[in-house]
Amino acid sequence: MPALDGVTGLRVVADARAIDDARWVAAGGSDVTLLRIAPDEVIAIDAVAVELDDGHAIVVDERGLVAATCPIDDVRRRTEWPLTAEAEVSQGAVAGVPVKLVRLDADHVRIFTAAAYAHDLADRLGWPT
Amino acid sequence: MSGANLRDGTSSGGRLVVDGRPLAFDEGDSVAVAMLRAGEWPGRGGTLCLAGDCGNCLATVDGVAYMRSCQVAAAPAMSVDRHPADAMPPLPAWADAQLDGDVAVGEPAVEREVADVVVIGGGRSGRAAAATASVDGREVVVLDAGTGEEVVGVYPGPTIVARTPAGMRHVTATEVIVATGAAEIQPVCPGAELRGIVTARAAQRLHASGVALPDAVAIGTPPEGVPCRPLDGVLVRFVDDGDGHIGGVVTADPVTGVETTTACRTAIVGLGWSPRDVLARMAGPTVPVSVVGSAAADHALPPPADRAAIVCRCMGVSVADLEEASGAGYGELELLKRATLAGIGTCQGGACLPHVRAWSAAQAGKAPEPFTARPAARQPTLGEVAADVTVDAFRRTPLHDEHLALGATMDRFGGWWRPWHYGDAMAEYRAVREGVSIGDVSTLGKLVLSGPDVVEALERLYPCHVADIKPGRSRYALLLNERGHVMDDGMILRESETRFVLTFTSGGAANAEMWLRDWIETWGLRVHVLDQTMSLAAVNVTGPLAGELLRRLGLDETPRYLGHRRAAVAGVPCHVMRLSFTGEAAFELHHPLDGSVELWRALMDRGADLGIRPHGLQALFGLRLEKGHVIVGMDTELDTTPRRLGMDWAVRMEKPTFIGRAALERTGKLPDHRRLFGFTMDGLAPTEGSPIRVGDEIVGHVSGSWTSPVLGKAVMLGWQKRSPFADRVEIDGREALVTSTPFYDPEGHRARA
Repeated sequence: MPALDGVTGLRVVADARAIDDARWVAAGGSDVTLLRIAPDEVIAIDAVAVELDDGHAIVVDERGLVAATCPIDDVRRRTEWPLTAEAEVSQGAVAGVPVKLVRLDADHVRIFTAAAYAHDLADRLGWPT
Repeated sequence: MSGANLRDGTSSGGRLVVDGRPLAFDEGDSVAVAMLRAGEWPGRGGTLCLAGDCGNCLATVDGVAYMRSCQVAAAPAMSVDRHPADAMPPLPAWADAQLDGDVAVGEPAVEREVADVVVIGGGRSGRAAAATASVDGREVVVLDAGTGEEVVGVYPGPTIVARTPAGMRHVTATEVIVATGAAEIQPVCPGAELRGIVTARAAQRLHASGVALPDAVAIGTPPEGVPCRPLDGVLVRFVDDGDGHIGGVVTADPVTGVETTTACRTAIVGLGWSPRDVLARMAGPTVPVSVVGSAAADHALPPPADRAAIVCRCMGVSVADLEEASGAGYGELELLKRATLAGIGTCQGGACLPHVRAWSAAQAGKAPEPFTARPAARQPTLGEVAADVTVDAFRRTPLHDEHLALGATMDRFGGWWRPWHYGDAMAEYRAVREGVSIGDVSTLGKLVLSGPDVVEALERLYPCHVADIKPGRSRYALLLNERGHVMDDGMILRESETRFVLTFTSGGAANAEMWLRDWIETWGLRVHVLDQTMSLAAVNVTGPLAGELLRRLGLDETPRYLGHRRAAVAGVPCHVMRLSFTGEAAFELHHPLDGSVELWRALMDRGADLGIRPHGLQALFGLRLEKGHVIVGMDTELDTTPRRLGMDWAVRMEKPTFIGRAALERTGKLPDHRRLFGFTMDGLAPTEGSPIRVGDEIVGHVSGSWTSPVLGKAVMLGWQKRSPFADRVEIDGREALVTSTPFYDPEGHRARA
């Protein structure tokens, strides 16, 4: 049964080109997963530092998200948009809860939501709350 | 009409239960055909089309009301209850239990898909349209009621929602083709509500099914191959046999007008066709929908109906009703529909629209465009409507479980679960006024703005000065729209020359964020915006001993009033903001979510000997009322200006520009008849929402009320909406005095202490 756990990283708002060219530093032994949720905003999961060419960039620790990896069929029926193989990162509502989805492979996704929504999302998907 | 089976007099399918009595049916029968075969009339009267176009065969089938029995295949042990002729069907017996939550009902599955083209209708036109659409490789979905895929609505998107045997199907497409054919025109004349009348196509279907049509006459175009006596002349009325069944038909010579009465037991009416285009009429102007085949044909309208006739059987609208509404000025077809309700019933105008158009054409000299239709074209069950629909998710702060452990009663407020009280709101109030208390304010909106144009942006967005706020200082601000109406309020906190933090109300944060982003983008200013509302938690530490508690937890230097700084509290990195909504010294500690429980527990632990208690919204609302602080959305209305709140001080009209300035300048020169006042009176506070009277006239209402322990009387905020404004009013049958705010500590010494 999937379970939502807290994730950490950096949230950055900056010029789009600066984000394109950003150099990320990951927590030890992990890779940085980038959720580019807008041209000027990115959530870098497991990042601990970043070099950016934007003196006014906003860079903050992000500790308000939870995530779980689950079979795509767990969320397909409750997703407002068709889950296509082309979309690597998508965002919208699953079971009425705002989420971001990262397609891991043909059968699995990693689902992110704000910790404030964790209880509702888990409850609606039948996961442990 | 008799129920003789022309084949062999026996049944081959099984038995239904109709109105509590068993009834045999043949394999392949619809419920309606099975009832006719047995000599029962589906529904309570009116012409049967057996094509799903009218509402004359409605029944409750296996507990589901408003089913067209002609479209439901008969099945063994199926329970069928005909609807009453002149009332809504009763709720099934299980409904009460379900409403009480005692019965769990399965939720239909929902299948979502995307296609290039959706073709509704699987007849000849539909198949041709599907073949054409798929030629260039486009993905085409055909939804055909004949195979059980019954479209209930066409929505913007466009998204087509269909009921299928497997559940609900939601198809989003770029193009919709309606190929649903044509419906037969129903007779509209006296006696049309009788049993024994069928359309020509229905007669053919019954004949093909082996159901006899005894002593049948045909009016209009007779059905091919069905034994009947064709009548000359135009239909005038049907004659009641005294038992609700037709006993004859009156026709008239179209030239001489001479009437002829013909005795019969079955009347077959072939009065022409009308487009079955309800789904196209539902689509709206923005949905790319086209209509093909008979549904697009220009069928002739029927002759105008007799004045006494019922034109819309679903809603019981007569021709006389159309005349009355038109005479009152509702002549245009859309208005006529709304004024009389013709066309809003079960069949969404499928039966009445040609007659309403014909009547309107006779009045105006030309046929009007058909009126629009609204979903659903078929009555879905509540389960089908609710399938996969979710209510709003209410957010939880990271302290939710702490509140529950402390015995909090939680309530939903501004999109969040929040503690209403912890069992003793008065003790919570006293902790704030006399000692120290903490409150969970994680729900506040929190934005970070950064960029070379940030001051310029905020000066335009807010009615107060921004440029003179020094780093480390903050200012209360209203947020206005272009009309000068208050949208939200909060704090502007400056961190550096080019970086600010903004706070907003819990319920208004999302709207405020969109508002800021839209304007900044519109102006093309170089400002980055980050929403941290759900990334940061916040605890308000308030009361005369708040500073002492924070010093115990490592905050040696607390900010002075309206100051703020970054510092660790109990080892948790915080943005410490010195504000006050309670009227006492108050420090908001904004911090990362994962430090929230640790911080909360440290505050409770180190404040134990100071008498610390957490406070909920109930106490907070009383505390703020004593200070006369407004809550946007509770005390304000959609068109509330700063002047109406008595908050002109928050608007600096000497600024050359800000959103809402032009409107405030214009309306500021006009007399105003609305004002939010403070009121006090002896005794207990009246209920919020209580009317405020001057003499016999209600002049406003109470927007917030609290029985103040520290002041020993009731304090209120409330509206007067009549000028001249009164100094003394009556609330809850008692005299109340207009009183300037703040009621408590008007000089603000305690908040600054």
